[in-house]
Amino acid sequence: MTRTHMLLRSAAVAVLFAATAANAQVSIGHLADYSGATADVGVPFGQGAADAIAWVNQRGGVNNAKVNIDTVDYGYQVPRAVSQYKKWVGEKVAAILGWGTADTEALTGFVAQDQIPYISGSYAAALTDPTGQSNRAKPAPYNFFYGPSYSDALRGMLTWAAQDWKNKGKPGQAKFVHMGANHPYPNAPKEAGEAIAKELGFEVLPPVQFALTPGDYTAQCLTLKNSGANYAYLGNTAGSNISVLKACKTAGVDVQFLGNVWGMDENAAKAAGDAANGVVFPLRTAVTWSDEAPGMKTLREISKLSDPSNAAYRPVHYVAAVCTALYLKEAMDWAAKNGGVNGPNAKKGFYQKKDWVPAGMEGVCVPSTWTETDHRSTLTVNLYRIKVAGATEAPLNDLIKNGSIKLEKVTSIELPRKAEWQGW
Amino acid sequence: MAMQSLLPAGDFRTTYAADTVIFPTAAGRYAAIAVVALLCFAPLVLSQYWLSILIQIGYLAIAALGLNIMVGFTGQISIGHAAFFGLGAFTSAYLSAKLSVPVFFSIPLAALITAGVGLVFGLPAARLKGLYLVIATLAAQYILLDFFSRAEWFTGGVVPAIAQPFRIFGFTLRGDHRYFYVVLVYLVLSTILVTNLMRSRDGRALVAVRDHYLSAEIMGINLTKYRTLSFGLAAFYAGIGGALYAHYQEVVSNEGFTIDRSILFLAMVIIGGLGSVMGTLMGTIFMVLLPEVMEWVSALLRGGSIDQALALRNNIAFLREIAIGLVIVLFLVFEPDGLAHRWRRIKAYWKLYPFSY
Repeated sequence: MTRTHMLLRSAAVAVLFAATAANAQVSIGHLADYSGATADVGVPFGQGAADAIAWVNQRGGVNNAKVNIDTVDYGYQVPRAVSQYKKWVGEKVAAILGWGTADTEALTGFVAQDQIPYISGSYAAALTDPTGQSNRAKPAPYNFFYGPSYSDALRGMLTWAAQDWKNKGKPGQAKFVHMGANHPYPNAPKEAGEAIAKELGFEVLPPVQFALTPGDYTAQCLTLKNSGANYAYLGNTAGSNISVLKACKTAGVDVQFLGNVWGMDENAAKAAGDAANGVVFPLRTAVTWSDEAPGMKTLREISKLSDPSNAAYRPVHYVAAVCTALYLKEAMDWAAKNGGVNGPNAKKGFYQKKDWVPAGMEGVCVPSTWTETDHRSTLTVNLYRIKVAGATEAPLNDLIKNGSIKLEKVTSIELPRKAEWQGW
Repeated sequence: MAMQSLLPAGDFRTTYAADTVIFPTAAGRYAAIAVVALLCFAPLVLSQYWLSILIQIGYLAIAALGLNIMVGFTGQISIGHAAFFGLGAFTSAYLSAKLSVPVFFSIPLAALITAGVGLVFGLPAARLKGLYLVIATLAAQYILLDFFSRAEWFTGGVVPAIAQPFRIFGFTLRGDHRYFYVVLVYLVLSTILVTNLMRSRDGRALVAVRDHYLSAEIMGINLTKYRTLSFGLAAFYAGIGGALYAHYQEVVSNEGFTIDRSILFLAMVIIGGLGSVMGTLMGTIFMVLLPEVMEWVSALLRGGSIDQALALRNNIAFLREIAIGLVIVLFLVFEPDGLAHRWRRIKAYWKLYPFSY
């Protein structure tokens, strides 16, 4: 056989391999809210997930199979989420990146039955019990999320608040109030928050309701003022929280606001201006966009995919979405090497590592652990405080650079992994 | 003007019975049977996507038929139809999941309960006309919707309720391929029932109320009774449609029954053609397919040269909504009598083709 022949043959084999690799595909669904009540935080989160998957594909996908991501804007409507889910089941997706609490909880039974890992943007504690052992929630074996649950985040914040009240040395009992829409998402941590607040010695006031959409919440702020609350939990997303913060600033309410994971971010701080000053909220990642960490290099590469000039400032939700998508990617990697990418294998993929950070994201994502009996990936609650100094009209990037908006780390609360705190 | 009737010249009717046959021509009768027979084979050939669209058309058409009884045949108006649709869905979900009533029975039971509630809301409405009636039905919409979000024992409140899958003789009919038949049976039954209702004494009374209520009253038709009845009937079919929807999705959330959907039902009936069973079906098909077609168009646009030139990106989704609105407006301008009228024109055209007189 001549040399050219051999070369040709190896070339042909290479082409064949490339062809099969290009044909192999892994489909995942991506449910995003770009136009509904939570679009304010849904847009950066959705963009983060989409960019992360695009980046994965650039680097060979999952075990040389391209990840085919189907991003659908469902407008935060449960019925649309359900019908989209049915469509995806028909298309045999390997996993789904989901979003809201109402739709995720509605689908919990189905994803268990259809064996499709469902990585939600909802951090409701009811999704953390895969076996139903807590007797608090229905078993949710195929539900995953990255970050502390809403309930654990609130437990962490109230632990801090109790200490804060002591440090300030104010007289009497501190008063805590839960605020948010009457909707599964703000309601999710209500019971847990009020229970631990009582334990920690707070007086728990009747909850105050405000809708998920921006509006005039002067009435709610006056209620807050009259009740004499000291610590108020904002259960909604940033959009409506901004309205509350502004209205309460005008009404002259002196309350320490505690934001939900989705309740505060850099964009919200810019929109609310000095009304957002001092709000404490939990961060799911170890860093913000302006910090430095080994994994930031990867993160900036990922961000470039939708922002080639690299001029955009990415809010905290974007960073969290990249982490979320990459955890799924690595779980599917494991599945690909252990019997093929399908639901049950990808689920097992989540259980393979302890204190796990996706490759390339060191120092960005918080080490997480999922086990077959406990889907609370982390119990570390990193608390940050929004600092707003001066006007916030300039572009976000400049505001962060000149220090007009700052995310200042308050503390890190390490909650005990109590069995009686699982599932609620 | 093209000829409207398909009866050949010289073919006269000599009895009242002949005047009220459902299919005036044999060809029409065979065509209808053939369509139903063909649909029976649909799950064998069609993809899941198309089946889900057909199922959607099915349960929405049943509810729209109900609205057509009220709007098209009785001349009343309602912008609260979605609330009754939702009541049917929640009732059937409640009966099946909480009271363990077999789904086979819970669907008709839910429809009856919805009809009862419809009659109650119809009582004041029967004494109102025009804009006042619109506001009264708007109240029904909001009262029921508020009830859904507060009655936790019944609907689960803001947490979506779970409905059991459809079971018959030990078989579980879930998934598009099987559930399709459930919807098909109900659609055929509902179509036959509504068509026959219009041939009955009560049906004619409803039409008389619409055409001239004063004359109808002088002829001895009890206006209040028939106006209320039309509400009950409309709610009955809305209940069937809603219950079918509940057991198809197996999840019922109070977000799906807002006034948008009520308007959508009205649009189906108006675009299809008021007072026409066939038109209602066509209007439903139109309203279900329109967003899908627009979705295909926007999928084609996405990433294309037009998208890049105008930097549309995420705005395509909004353009799609605008386009849907525009198509509906254009439709009403150029085809105010609805799809049913257009369909008759097309049939007449081909009947005489190529020598139209």
